[in-house]
Amino acid sequence: MNKPSTNIVVFEPSLIVFEGISNIISKSGHHFHLIRTDSLSEIQNHAAHGRFDLAIVNPTLIQNKNKEFASIQKNFPAIIWVALVYNFFDHNLLSQFDRIINITDSAESISKQLTNISSNENHLSLEDEQELLSDREIDVLKQIIKGFSNKEIADHLNISIHTVISHRKNISQKTGIKSQAGLTIYAISNKIILLEDYKN
Amino acid sequence: MSNLSKGNYIKPEMKISSLVFENPNLLLLMEHLEIDFIVHEKTVKQLCAASNINEDLFILIANLYNGFQPTEQQNLTRDDMAAIIKFLKNSHNYYENEKYPEIRSYLEQLQIQNNSAEIKLIEKFFDEYFNEVKEHLHYENRVAFPYFNKLLKNEIGGKEEKLEPYSVNEYQEHHSDIESKLNDLKALLLKHVPVENDRVIRRKIIKCLCELENDLNIHSIIEETILIPLVSQIECSE
Repeated sequence: MNKPSTNIVVFEPSLIVFEGISNIISKSGHHFHLIRTDSLSEIQNHAAHGRFDLAIVNPTLIQNKNKEFASIQKNFPAIIWVALVYNFFDHNLLSQFDRIINITDSAESISKQLTNISSNENHLSLEDEQELLSDREIDVLKQIIKGFSNKEIADHLNISIHTVISHRKNISQKTGIKSQAGLTIYAISNKIILLEDYKN
Repeated sequence: MSNLSKGNYIKPEMKISSLVFENPNLLLLMEHLEIDFIVHEKTVKQLCAASNINEDLFILIANLYNGFQPTEQQNLTRDDMAAIIKFLKNSHNYYENEKYPEIRSYLEQLQIQNNSAEIKLIEKFFDEYFNEVKEHLHYENRVAFPYFNKLLKNEIGGKEEKLEPYSVNEYQEHHSDIESKLNDLKALLLKHVPVENDRVIRRKIIKCLCELENDLNIHSIIEETILIPLVSQIECSE
């Protein structure tokens, strides 16, 4: 399969971080072209000219510009929005993104995420198509079904709240379902939980 | 975001009948704007003139149905508000009294053909969802539209009457919730819940959900990118 190049816009104030991303993905084997930008209107402009397919955004920069950001997303539905997270953000803010990269993720996992996103036209990786949730994602799913909050899930599974959010994001991505009630039906259909358990 | 159909970019001199044959969803637009269906050989321009509707507004919404987002610059004024509100109210009626009941009745048939626990849960999910939608529609009918109407008649600011305040944020929160649960339903029926001799009815449900989604989508774009900016423009000029 030939690998077309993927254009990525990076909206990130720190040069160190930008160079870091650039360095990591240059080693991924997939051809990426990075465009650094410093305003949302510039992103909009690039998008209008079809200059990129994927955007890596530091959520701090859209924190008070939710509306503007949402309207760009609406106008350019094909673009994948990836949050680059290195401090705590509100769940609502992060839920505006399609994917999440944590600053502590390994180079391999970052390259893999980006390559997966860009190597499939439908923006779904092979793994996603098989809809297989990882064991950890299933643990998180079971907690979601029981109605626990992100904080509670983090405590129960002994993981950080970021990790919970990123698992949730991936679960929704893979299943196509966001709501607790919807995920419950998913879990029953896929025999992840038994109906009797749910009723109890 | 999904669009059921993408047609041509609509212009005033195009013939309305050809446009409707190309994208029959435009009939919904005409219905919501209370335009007669017998269009003879009229062009968009002629139809709008005959029905007393601003051509720019008609074209803007018709192009939304054809898959084109509105541009930032819209030449709409307060005179268009009444027509926009009429459109939105009629589409509420379409959701509440036509589309949701249609899906509800399909779900009942599905339940007969596939009497599984999951389908029962889907019905329950749908009913809860429908109740949320109704709440939102009623909220708009009760709070938002009367506010806009008052604004239109220059009655805001008078002290005699207290209006329940409406909030743009509340609007948007409701919208994204409504869209996301509809998506869940589609995903469950298409991707997850096992089929048991129910393909035909399931196809009807999924198709119906997509039609509803398309119309809801247009509905919220009209509210968020056409109506609300227009309202704030009027509020500022008062």
